[in-house]
Amino acid sequence: MLLEVRAASVSYKMVRALHRITMEVPAGGIVTIIGANGAGKTTALRAISGLVPLAEGEIVFEGERISGLAPERIAALGIGHVPEGRRVFPDLTVEENLSTGAFLRRDASAVRSDFEAVYSRFPRLAERRRQYARTLSGGEQQMLAIGRALMLRPRMLLLDEPSMGLAPVIVEEIARIIRDISGTGVPVLLVEQNAEMALELADYAYVLETGSVALSGVADELHGDDHVRRAYLGA
Amino acid sequence: MTELLLQTIVNATYAASYLALVAVGLVLIFGVMGIINFAHGEFYMLGAYCVVALYADLELPFLLSVAAGLVFVGLVGIATERTLFRPMRDNPLGGLVVSIGLLLILQSLATLGFGVRMEHIPPPSQAVLTLREGVGIPVQRLNVIFAAVLLLGALWLFLHRTRWGFALRASAQDPEAAALQGISMGQASRIAVGIGAALAGVAGALTAPLVRTFPYMGHSVIIAAFIVIIVGGVGSLEGAVLAAVVYAFVHTFVTTFVDGVIADIVGLLLMLAVLIVRPTGLFGSRDRG
Ligand SMILES: Nc1ncnc2c1ncn2[C@@H]1O[C@H](COP(=O)(O)OP(=O)(O)O)[C@@H](O)[C@H]1O
Ligand SMILES: [Mg+2]
Repeated sequence: MLLEVRAASVSYKMVRALHRITMEVPAGGIVTIIGANGAGKTTALRAISGLVPLAEGEIVFEGERISGLAPERIAALGIGHVPEGRRVFPDLTVEENLSTGAFLRRDASAVRSDFEAVYSRFPRLAERRRQYARTLSGGEQQMLAIGRALMLRPRMLLLDEPSMGLAPVIVEEIARIIRDISGTGVPVLLVEQNAEMALELADYAYVLETGSVALSGVADELHGDDHVRRAYLGA
Repeated sequence: MTELLLQTIVNATYAASYLALVAVGLVLIFGVMGIINFAHGEFYMLGAYCVVALYADLELPFLLSVAAGLVFVGLVGIATERTLFRPMRDNPLGGLVVSIGLLLILQSLATLGFGVRMEHIPPPSQAVLTLREGVGIPVQRLNVIFAAVLLLGALWLFLHRTRWGFALRASAQDPEAAALQGISMGQASRIAVGIGAALAGVAGALTAPLVRTFPYMGHSVIIAAFIVIIVGGVGSLEGAVLAAVVYAFVHTFVTTFVDGVIADIVGLLLMLAVLIVRPTGLFGSRDRG
């Protein structure tokens, strides 16, 4: 396994947000975490990236324990994280935002070609290179946040609700982009409230309910599961 | 009358220059660390005392003493970040307490080392550049203007053209998102405080022969600098530079044509007016942009 979350718990002061969750992400394909608002999906990704400490358990990436490392060290191991709410740098230009994604890279010529790769993947960003990120639409900001994470040349990509607040056509475009990225060999861990989209894209899925893994399985099978259909697919 | 007007413009430009150097450092530190450095005036004072020690006492060349002031105060800033500021990141009250503590310590150290009396510093240059009949600028002041333009230009290039410059701006806008890009907050803070302190130090060193140099000289500068960053918008470096110019012109003109106490009051009124009309400052967008 590329990433293993082993019996990990996270608490925020009084609230226990995650309770002994165990998850695995293989070296290829898309794994998704679905669940209602407040189930702990964002907390799970933040724990992987080192933004919140574990109260118990451990997280292992490529055989090495990463829980306890600072976020910048975890990024340096190749975990790209597209945070909830996109979190682009509002007063940096599109180009400067992408540059921050390449902060750790020392291979200048490869970085230049990655800029071009991101711009050809997202032509709308290419048109807006010199614009401040705060002037972009929600969909464009999402693309910028994804582009910024790709500039790291991640060995694995964490995506937190990339469809949030976007129009259906844009959501489709984002879904296509996620499939593309996974197709280039980058394993993806996708967090979504949009269960329909997530189960369609993913190979494997975890269902989080109030901080615990309630259910997990092959995405297609979960898509047919009665509980999942009733609770998350509005059937 | 035209002579007096032109002379006042020249004087205001000089005042704007060193004020901008001090204010920009405050903004940089606040942006990256969320701490208002109340000891920033004392960084300025330390720079001035580098010139007292090296130039006035040891008779080393003036420029060398100024360079030493820049480096020394920069290092003091780095040490301050590591020991006092880092544990207080994004803790405004804690930042207030440790920076006021540092202020008192630095004032006491200066008093212990040099006494409370005003220092006499022989002017490195007596030359006056005559711009036209009756309007002159002492070369010493001209040097301050040149140095400010040069250093602020270099800072702008650093922030907008280099990898760590991007990192500092990103950290000021969203520290968590910056960490996800692999940017170390500790390193970003160290650089921000180091540069901020160095700029205050060099301002103090350059102006030491021109102002009253004594252990409490930081007071007047820090008050002006606070007004400047509030007028400019707390998160904006460009705003701080522009507001330093506005403030220095208003203050110098009122001092020249009315009087100094009224000028201080007008400066405060300027700040109040901006706070009422545009609470984010002339250039501020969000609180830590
Ligand atoms: N910074 C925080 N401080 C306190 N409680 C938090 C914080 N962030 C999240 N929580 C709580 O933790 C739980 C899980 O939140 P989150 O991981 O954001 O869920 P999701 O992403 O699935 O919507 C919720 O009950 C939420 O209120
Ligand atoms: Mg969430």
